[in-house]
Amino acid sequence: MKIELRETVDHGGTISREEILARLGDRALVILNVMPKETFADGHIPGSINLPVVDVEAKARQLIANFNQEIAVYCAGAT
Amino acid sequence: MGLLEGMGYTNVRHYVGGMADWLERGAPVEKSAATIEAPPVPSSARQSIIRRLSWLEILANWPLERLVGFWLGMIVVFGVIYWLAGVGMGWGLQAGNALVKPDLSGFATAIYFSFVTALSIGYGDVIPVGPLRILAVIEGIAGLLVFGCVISKLVSRRQEELTEEIHRTTFEDRLDRVRTNLHLVFSDFGSVQQLQAERGSLPGQVLRRLESTVGVFRGELQTIHDLLYKSRVEPDEEALESLLANLVVCLQSLLEIKSSIVTANGQSARLDAGLKSVSGLANEICGECVPHSYAPVLKESMDQIQELARKIA
Repeated sequence: MKIELRETVDHGGTISREEILARLGDRALVILNVMPKETFADGHIPGSINLPVVDVEAKARQLIANFNQEIAVYCAGAT
Repeated sequence: MGLLEGMGYTNVRHYVGGMADWLERGAPVEKSAATIEAPPVPSSARQSIIRRLSWLEILANWPLERLVGFWLGMIVVFGVIYWLAGVGMGWGLQAGNALVKPDLSGFATAIYFSFVTALSIGYGDVIPVGPLRILAVIEGIAGLLVFGCVISKLVSRRQEELTEEIHRTTFEDRLDRVRTNLHLVFSDFGSVQQLQAERGSLPGQVLRRLESTVGVFRGELQTIHDLLYKSRVEPDEEALESLLANLVVCLQSLLEIKSSIVTANGQSARLDAGLKSVSGLANEICGECVPHSYAPVLKESMDQIQELARKIA
């Protein structure tokens, strides 16, 4: 458990697939998909919420009120 | 993403692999358009929003022509009411010492009075008598408000044109500057590489210079990042294409330098920090996430940039 914690700190700003997989049902972690709506509909990580990059500045506060909320952001990634 | 952190979120982490990495390992996928919307606004708050969007706000959102039309129409309607109200009841409009009659010249007088009231001129040659005085006060207030909307529309229209113009020119300026600076960065990288090839290792002075070049590069990358994500103006694709191509070249040469320097000179903490933030920024230039949809060529270079970024990290 401790090792896992240190690992996340060391990474500094990134989160691994394993951690997301392990915490899929965890409500403390918001998984945020920043792709356009259509792409989101084609398939996304279960339980993730969609907030296209264009809308981030306007809508992020409505969607996630707490500034300390743990958030994992992802988009298309490498192809 | 940098955007969220810029807004004040403190606990944001980036799943760099994204969907591609997720699918590759056969992790579960959900397919639906059902996004979790923002929690519903409590009804009391919603009501106050509706109240705030009162008729005045609706009025202010009308186009100029409609506003002017509404203003004129309102004056005519009030004029007709003044003209017909109180016929035979001993009250109405009074010009001189006699009540205005409901005939054609009376109509002209009523319209004239309506204009004088709506413009809050109030000459006083025609005066309302009885309950019409209340109506005249209401018209005075309404006339002021609507006319105020008309004036503010005129002013803001010009202002919008100006800000649009300013946005466009600063945008082009920034684009030009980034392009020039990327060229400088690239030639700097080139000379560092040459020195490296000649001597096998870099003297401390050159290493310092490399560090500062990486710093400049980081700044330019930040600007490109902002241009792609935060800009109100859609970048010209041709300009963007050459910009991204330059970026790819710079990143490639930075990658080469990085791999050769680490073997020859050992570690430099400042260089490492610079490289890390360059890689982080470049990694966020994502063809799928940028707000505009660009030509495939541009997406390709964005993908290339992301790939290089991962190698540099």
